[in-house]
Amino acid sequence: MPPQLQGAAQPQEGPGDAADALHILHTLIKPQHGEERWATISWKTDLTQARLQAAAEGKPILLWEMDGHPLGCT
Amino acid sequence: MILENYVPLTGDDWYQRRRQDTEGEFFRQVAAQAGRGKVHENSDGGATRQGVYLFTADGTLLGHTIATRSVERTYQVLQRGLRQWHTLPKDKRQPGAVHVEAPGTHDRRYTRTPPANGLIVHVHARILDKDAHGRWRKGSCDVLGGDQASHDRLWLTEAEWRSLIPPDPKVDTSAQVPAAVLDRMTRYHLVDNTRGEPAMWKPEEVRTRELTLTVTEVTPERVRLQLVGAALMATHSDLAQAERGFDARLEGIIEYDVARQTMSRFDLVAVGHPWGESKLSPRARAGRQPFGVAFELATGDTPANRVPPQGARNMAAYLGTAR
Repeated sequence: MPPQLQGAAQPQEGPGDAADALHILHTLIKPQHGEERWATISWKTDLTQARLQAAAEGKPILLWEMDGHPLGCT
Repeated sequence: MILENYVPLTGDDWYQRRRQDTEGEFFRQVAAQAGRGKVHENSDGGATRQGVYLFTADGTLLGHTIATRSVERTYQVLQRGLRQWHTLPKDKRQPGAVHVEAPGTHDRRYTRTPPANGLIVHVHARILDKDAHGRWRKGSCDVLGGDQASHDRLWLTEAEWRSLIPPDPKVDTSAQVPAAVLDRMTRYHLVDNTRGEPAMWKPEEVRTRELTLTVTEVTPERVRLQLVGAALMATHSDLAQAERGFDARLEGIIEYDVARQTMSRFDLVAVGHPWGESKLSPRARAGRQPFGVAFELATGDTPANRVPPQGARNMAAYLGTAR
């Protein structure tokens, strides 16, 4: 049997408690502040757009290429 | 910071190495300079080319490393790439020196765009533990990065997300989440992708699933609904023989903005005890350990928000339109 959202089944909880438990667990699972420094970078996802920007600004391109999109898998 | 000297770009190698168009050929010729595959591949794309590539706008390779979690190694490669960049003639580096041609046609087999007027929902998964007081906390494991939240997106078509909102909502009335939506959520998003690419559940591996929508509030401004349900996925009907599985309880809240006629909240949590591991995400924790998945509405039309779901490689199967 899967667990309740709160630590253990708590049938005495009111709707507000259930909402709090949902909020706590929802927040805990999501990326935490400061946990993902890579996510603070404004990554582009379109190769042609990146090439156009690189040409316009006179910069090279850094491509992070993975099986499973780096911004969308793992 | 070294990244200020580069234009940062991400890509999914599964698509890039397969696409038969200008973009795919450009990427493959960059990778080939690093000894990673051939320029001309058939649509199976050949071997993986995942890694970090540093190159000029016209495709001259400056540096490369295979995929690594080593910050030090990556930093050194970035520094070497910059040094290589500065060895190029100045008239090759200055703004406007390189002309980038239009991309031409796109290989639509490997191009994914979110459904028109659809919903994009962030999906994060994380291993969990409990503290001495029985409260949830972040889990720990011996895989570098395996304790962090994973990333994916759930795509819903406009018809699908609108089907979640009753046409004449009344408090305490209930309905089931439509099967197509629940199938997508369970098969493609209740998966363990915290250590690598996950195996998605086959249709027959979703043993039970239900998710009930109950209207809890109706005002002129909004309609709020509670989501409660459960799902069981397992690779064998006899759970004792199933190499992989996940029993999950689901709870959440969604809200509909009446004036804007848009979904304004999509908070859902699935928590349970998955077991087993798949080929590309090995080294799962032993036994059945707590694990959670959180869904949250994506806001803003950013490049990151438009990254397709991992399950969208087979788009027809993902959307349930495959025959």
